[in-house]
Amino acid sequence: MTGPSGVGIGWRPEITGFVAELPGLRFVEVVAEGVPASGPLPLGLAQLRERAVTVVPHGVRLNLGGAEPVESARVAHLATVAQRLDAPLVSEHIAFVRAGGLEAGHLLPLPRSREAVDAVCANVARAQAELPVPIALEPIAALLDWPDDELDEADFLTEILDRTGALLLLDVANVHANARNRGADPLALLDRLPLERIAYAHVAGGAEHGGFYHDTHTDPVPKAVLELVGALCARRRPPALLLERDGHYPPAAELRAELDALAAAAGFPAVT
Amino acid sequence: MIVYTASGDTWGIPGPTFLRFYLVAAAVVLTFAVYERVRMAAGSNAAMTADPLGPQQVAYLNGGPQLAVHAALGGLRGSGTVGVRPDRRLTTVGAAPSGLTPLDQAIHWAAHQHARVRDLPKDDRVRVALHQIRNGLEQRGLLTNDSQRARARFWNKVLIALLGLGVLRLFFGLANGHPVGYLLLTLAVLLCIALLMGRAPVRTRAGRAALRGVRREHAHLAPASAPAYATYGAAGAAMGVALYGTAALWALDPGFAEQAEIQRQAISSSGGWTGGSDGSSGGGDSSGGDGGGSSCGGGGGCGGGGCGG
Repeated sequence: MTGPSGVGIGWRPEITGFVAELPGLRFVEVVAEGVPASGPLPLGLAQLRERAVTVVPHGVRLNLGGAEPVESARVAHLATVAQRLDAPLVSEHIAFVRAGGLEAGHLLPLPRSREAVDAVCANVARAQAELPVPIALEPIAALLDWPDDELDEADFLTEILDRTGALLLLDVANVHANARNRGADPLALLDRLPLERIAYAHVAGGAEHGGFYHDTHTDPVPKAVLELVGALCARRRPPALLLERDGHYPPAAELRAELDALAAAAGFPAVT
Repeated sequence: MIVYTASGDTWGIPGPTFLRFYLVAAAVVLTFAVYERVRMAAGSNAAMTADPLGPQQVAYLNGGPQLAVHAALGGLRGSGTVGVRPDRRLTTVGAAPSGLTPLDQAIHWAAHQHARVRDLPKDDRVRVALHQIRNGLEQRGLLTNDSQRARARFWNKVLIALLGLGVLRLFFGLANGHPVGYLLLTLAVLLCIALLMGRAPVRTRAGRAALRGVRREHAHLAPASAPAYATYGAAGAAMGVALYGTAALWALDPGFAEQAEIQRQAISSSGGWTGGSDGSSGGGDSSGGDGGGSSCGGGGGCGGGGCGG
């Protein structure tokens, strides 16, 4: 198992035939909850593994940001999937998806308080104890800040990464979204993040609605996000970049052009 | 054993003697019928080529002429070449693109004349194009041809005649109060075999293998994956319809499928069609019965030419 490298794409059943035909592809990410713990692997994933393409399970339901301890059955599933895919690492979000037994159905941002840092670190430690591979943590996009934030984004993340020893999964589109929606400078955030801890970075498309930038994953990657990818790589290029597309899939030629643009922005070889 | 006088035997032949000759006759007929069947199923590998099958050929192999028409329609719709008008008739959008198959061209022409989808298999040009596809598949040894199916049907008819003779004997025997247990048993077995062999296979073994290969290669088009047809393009849409039925056309463009009155139909991997009805040359491709035959599993109604156009 080798770590993620180069330009990858989020593997989804809807586009498995497209992903299978990318000759230079070395790395994909798969939603961990969509991979069964037993029985046959989805056909496309099994074929990618035969080609020795690195597959990273990406959890979305672990609830690392929840006030209650992370559920061990969910961690166990993530661990099983990582083993089945021979994954070099797994990733999850710094977010909460349920509280008091209620499912939000979304990734919700945490208040950036010392208390929240403690809760996240405790949950990450619980997960790390059961996972066979390292975990990379992904901060999420938020349209607003909580009123009682004690830390800024960079301090909040650095604190969590330092205390847990976890890797960083940086979402470049989120950095753009957060800065754009708060009128802040995305480069200032990049300058203060521990870029050497990045395992890989997410890049996704989005759209502007009502004066806000929405990280939709169903639109093309805007130029501003690609420029931010370039700025990130100029500071310190992450080992890998992953294009996330979750719906409204465009014609193959457009999707290939997005992958090429991403490779060009980062100076990686084209996978198409 | 009770010994009957000659006049007591049915047709003057003692029961055991009749049964012995009857079993021999049945064995001979079955041998020929099974031999013919095996030879037909094996197909001729001599004509096999390395050319990959196109979506329309796959569709014809998988679901008959009707599905081939729908697969072509899926491709044309996927490339935005045909549309449907509010009166549910087809129409064309712009000039015909290059690289169309004869069936594409025929359907494009029919769409240009504002045909209805359900009338497409009756269109002359479409029929000619479908016939070409069928001939190509027969030459490659993937579909059984008319003479093969006629021979299979002949031996089946002989078997049914033999069965009729046995039933006649059974009635006479019963009327005369003779024991008929063994004859009844023999007839039951023969009836089962006759029913099993009643429908001549459309695909050869090579045809079934080719279909399995294509299905494996295009597993990403299975409806369970909710395939992104926008990404897979016109060829993907055509192959999706060819392998998984018009459900793929509905997934590609529900508005078009509904407006054009295309029946939503999913084909399972074991799906088949019964094409035994097109005994007449040329006309077979447009026989009305094939509409039913292309449905999943195929009802028994189409066997033996009963519902050919």
